[in-house]
Amino acid sequence: MNCEKFESMVSDLARGRLMAVKQLGDARAHGESCDACAARLRDERMLTRGLQSLAADMETLEAPHAVETTLLEAFRARAVVVPVAKGQSSSRPSSRYWLAAVAAMLLIAISLVVFRWSNRPADEPRQAVKQEQPQPKPEVRDKSNEQLVQAVEKTAGDALPQRPKPKRVRPVSLRRPDSASVANHVTKEIATDFIPLSYMSAASLQDGGQIVRVQLPRSALANFGLPVNMDRYNEKVKADVLYGVDGMARAIRFVQ
Amino acid sequence: MTTGLQRRMNLKSDLNDSELLRLMLAGDEEALSVLYRRRQGGIYRFALQMSGSKPIAEDVTQEVFLFLMREGQVFDPSKGTVSAFLFGVARNHVLRRLRVEQALAPLGDDSDDDASFSHPSTDMCPLEDLTRAETIDSVRKAVLSLPAKYREVIVLCELQEVSYGETAEILGCAIGTVRSRLHRARALLLAKLRPATAVEETGSATVKSARCFA
Repeated sequence: MNCEKFESMVSDLARGRLMAVKQLGDARAHGESCDACAARLRDERMLTRGLQSLAADMETLEAPHAVETTLLEAFRARAVVVPVAKGQSSSRPSSRYWLAAVAAMLLIAISLVVFRWSNRPADEPRQAVKQEQPQPKPEVRDKSNEQLVQAVEKTAGDALPQRPKPKRVRPVSLRRPDSASVANHVTKEIATDFIPLSYMSAASLQDGGQIVRVQLPRSALANFGLPVNMDRYNEKVKADVLYGVDGMARAIRFVQ
Repeated sequence: MTTGLQRRMNLKSDLNDSELLRLMLAGDEEALSVLYRRRQGGIYRFALQMSGSKPIAEDVTQEVFLFLMREGQVFDPSKGTVSAFLFGVARNHVLRRLRVEQALAPLGDDSDDDASFSHPSTDMCPLEDLTRAETIDSVRKAVLSLPAKYREVIVLCELQEVSYGETAEILGCAIGTVRSRLHRARALLLAKLRPATAVEETGSATVKSARCFA
């Protein structure tokens, strides 16, 4: 070992830090053979003792008790002022982000489902309606009803290829568009709200009535203020006509 | 009531610093109290040894734990211990305070500081001849007169007995840098504590390695 090597490890040697046995032996041997390095080691050891004395002298020093009191008061005041911020996951802001992300994903998923549902092709509900349609009931098809249907057909364009058959015989309230829309979802049909065909009070519909499914030229939509796709002008569109108990056509809705 | 509080604090004293910090951030006052009593001494002494001023040391100790209360969630256990985190915060506060103090009342340069260390005899080494109290006082003044980057490694590694690794975490540097700074700091301390004649005779530690190559 030379003096340069000794110098690099003299601090550790003086401080009694762990080192390899061979290194320790070499350093001691060099210290005994070199007076300058021996003096250097002696100085380092004295400095170490001085620093240890200083550390021991200050070992018992602590912050005054007033500091702890101030801190605890500050802690209590903070707990009173912002209990929510501390009680909540302020230490875990990422959890809030996760929650927001999950909520956003759910919202997007629901929006997609609703969007796709509203854009279903018309064939599927038509098949469903066909399956649903029961055999015509003779007791429903009385004369007065037929006349009313004819009247509606005339109003709609006088161009029905086939006479529609009554679909259901059950009372329906015009004042329940929500339940009507729910029924539409069940049968996978989309329908407009019922559009009144004559001046009447809504109370007169509370007694019930009949709905008859008909097919009308698409141009009939314009008569009710609805937009018409001119490319499909000659196609038929389905509609439900609501008859009152007196046999008068009261309202109509268009079905897709 | 007091007995119950003491019992709960005794139970918490078994917890490690990270658990205490977590409880404290959740609003547990006893956890703060236990953590404070466990760590305040080291922080206070570090600030005192770095600044040489008790008021600054008290302020820094208070600021460190106030910071822990406010921003304790920034502590990352994967980056080091709570103790190292506290020392790091304390170091920043001390250095800031020293910069302010220096701006308000400029200190003299190192030569002035050296002159303030009056030795009883120029041809006698104070480390050998002074009484223990005088030696401690001399060493304290010598430490305070070191540049901040050397003073902090002396305070941490020698006086606080913090490991090299933890010191590197606190200072944000490599272990090798800590070792080299410590070596240089000890050489500067020796130079300050040795009488001027002795310094001239032996030279500084940096050139000492060139004295002999036996």
